[in-house]
Amino acid sequence: MGRIRIENLRKNFGAHEVLKNINLDIGEGELAVFVGPSGCGKSTLLRQISGLDQPTSGHIFIDDKDVTGVSAADRGLAMVFQSYALYPHMTVLQNLTFGLQNMKMAKVEIDRRVADAARMLEIEPLLSRRPGQLSGGQRQRVAIGRAIVRDPTAFLLDEPLSNLDAELRVSMRAELAALHARLAATMIYVTHDQVEAMTLADRIVVLRAGKIEQVAAPIDLFDKPANRFVAGFIGAPSMNFLTVEEATPILPTAPAGTALVGVRPQHLDPAETGLDVTVSLVESLGTETVIHATLATGTRILATLPGHVRAKVGEHLKLGGDPARMHFFDGQDQRIG
Amino acid sequence: MSVLRMMTARRGGKGWHWTDVFTWAWLIMGLIVMFGPALWLVLSSFKTPAALAEFPPTILPYAAQTVSVTIDGQVKDLPLFTTTLDDGTVRQLAEVRRLGTMATMVDPANPTDSVKVNIQNRTPVRQIAFATSNYVDPLEKNNFGLYLWNSVFVTTMATIITLLTNSMAAFALSKYDFRGRNAVMLLIVATLMVPLSVNLVPLYSVISQLGLLDTLWGVILPTVATPTGVFLLRQYMLTIPDELIEAARMDKASEWQIYWRIVLPLTGPALAVLAIFSVVWRWNDFLWPLIVLSRKEVFTLQVGLNTFAGELNVQWHYILAMTVATMIPVIIVFVFLQKFITSGIASTGLK
Repeated sequence: MGRIRIENLRKNFGAHEVLKNINLDIGEGELAVFVGPSGCGKSTLLRQISGLDQPTSGHIFIDDKDVTGVSAADRGLAMVFQSYALYPHMTVLQNLTFGLQNMKMAKVEIDRRVADAARMLEIEPLLSRRPGQLSGGQRQRVAIGRAIVRDPTAFLLDEPLSNLDAELRVSMRAELAALHARLAATMIYVTHDQVEAMTLADRIVVLRAGKIEQVAAPIDLFDKPANRFVAGFIGAPSMNFLTVEEATPILPTAPAGTALVGVRPQHLDPAETGLDVTVSLVESLGTETVIHATLATGTRILATLPGHVRAKVGEHLKLGGDPARMHFFDGQDQRIG
Repeated sequence: MSVLRMMTARRGGKGWHWTDVFTWAWLIMGLIVMFGPALWLVLSSFKTPAALAEFPPTILPYAAQTVSVTIDGQVKDLPLFTTTLDDGTVRQLAEVRRLGTMATMVDPANPTDSVKVNIQNRTPVRQIAFATSNYVDPLEKNNFGLYLWNSVFVTTMATIITLLTNSMAAFALSKYDFRGRNAVMLLIVATLMVPLSVNLVPLYSVISQLGLLDTLWGVILPTVATPTGVFLLRQYMLTIPDELIEAARMDKASEWQIYWRIVLPLTGPALAVLAIFSVVWRWNDFLWPLIVLSRKEVFTLQVGLNTFAGELNVQWHYILAMTVATMIPVIIVFVFLQKFITSGIASTGLK
């Protein structure tokens, strides 16, 4: 239970095409993360799946049943909203039970589910409070609890951690991962934070301007980005892109058809021979040092070096790299090899 | 304690800064301007018709003092006067009878000894007296109890229906996206520009055709759809995040449940403001009830008050007393819901 398939999905807002022919298959128990820059259509896609919006064309299947015309309430999905969307005038308990009462569920069953969810999320002491009396993290738990008690076919999470502070986000991220492992339910998670995407996902769906750029497991995405956009989007700091001529000092022979060479900042090291760069900024983070530099051609280069590196602004450095860890893109920005 | 501090706080510290003087003068003037008429109304409502007609008018209600005197074996209540006699002595005498400018007066202590006094040489002895009959008579004889009940019924029913229908309209106009939504809203608000007097005749024919003339429902129903209410509630509902409604939709709530269980409770402050407005409007309504109602049994208070103003004779003492009576519920509403009024009006951005 919980397989979601999307076929030829399109969504227009007036003349503006927000989703362009989306095809996607999300397996049972999978945690799929939609990631992309803002405005790429990831939240819109989630809303189509939830049923809160109707696609302009195309079909959505849940467990091989076409649900395109089915209302949000009857799709058996649960959604966690970015703002949590807890009902402010109801207590936590009422928030959790509202949906179940609407389903005309027996009271015994409601009590059991709420008790289970409250124990799992450690929100038992909060049940009689109202959302206004809760902290951000507690509200987040209640919002997730409201989804859990529904026992849905799949969970839809729309940037659920974006309203939390950095520290809480890290711990909630771990809890979400644990929750997914425990529930073994299908989850679709929308975020613009690539760390969340990399750490949580079974598979990442990278979207840009309403199109899927690549669908892959996090490490595959990192190691074998399908095109220049994905290569630049995944990984922090983002990948350096050099022309074949610029890369000649570290790459004697490029594969045929290569227009652009990508090197991750982490894969550049100081060397005897290599790229001749002028340092323009040094960021010491303790565990690593990020060096901003420029080539003679003016191309900006980032290099992340482990530990402390003594470098001064204006200094010349030679950076070497391993051709085996480089990425090659053709004239259409597609991956070669 | 804090109230006392607020009342005595001065900008000049121990002394008086000129702004303190100005503030106090301004506030006292405001107090007199606003409360003066109301206070005068209340005091005048306790005056007898004679005292009301008096010129110059007095602030407090006075009545002539009388004294029981036994004359020729009969006990009579006679008015008491402070009289200056011809020999210059001043005494309190009771008036037995009066002919022209001369009055026959007796000493209450010695009723057999009468004197004739020119009425210019005497002034009536008066004391503060509240003519409570101004209140009791209309309530007992003129069915004001029934009018009161009618007014309460009209106000309550109209307010409940107003809140219900206006909030439904506001819900649709704020939370559903449909073609022509803004046009409908504009149309509703535009009806604010049409004065009641323009509507009176068509409204009367409608009510007449429906057979609602001379019934309280004929007063209630035409007033329940208020553009102000729809506008006020819609503006407030716009501030309720759409995600809440989507969450409810995911929670399998029907559209009615979304309205009844999510939107309506969250619109509480705006509903309170509209409820207060509606109570005051309906309670003070005069023209429309006057037109619809012609049987005494269905009169509201405001229409009932009008019956005291006849063509030849205006019973000011009853009008004043019953005006005070009709004001009381409105005042109570304001006193108890003042907090809602200020906060609600502030949050809805309405004047």
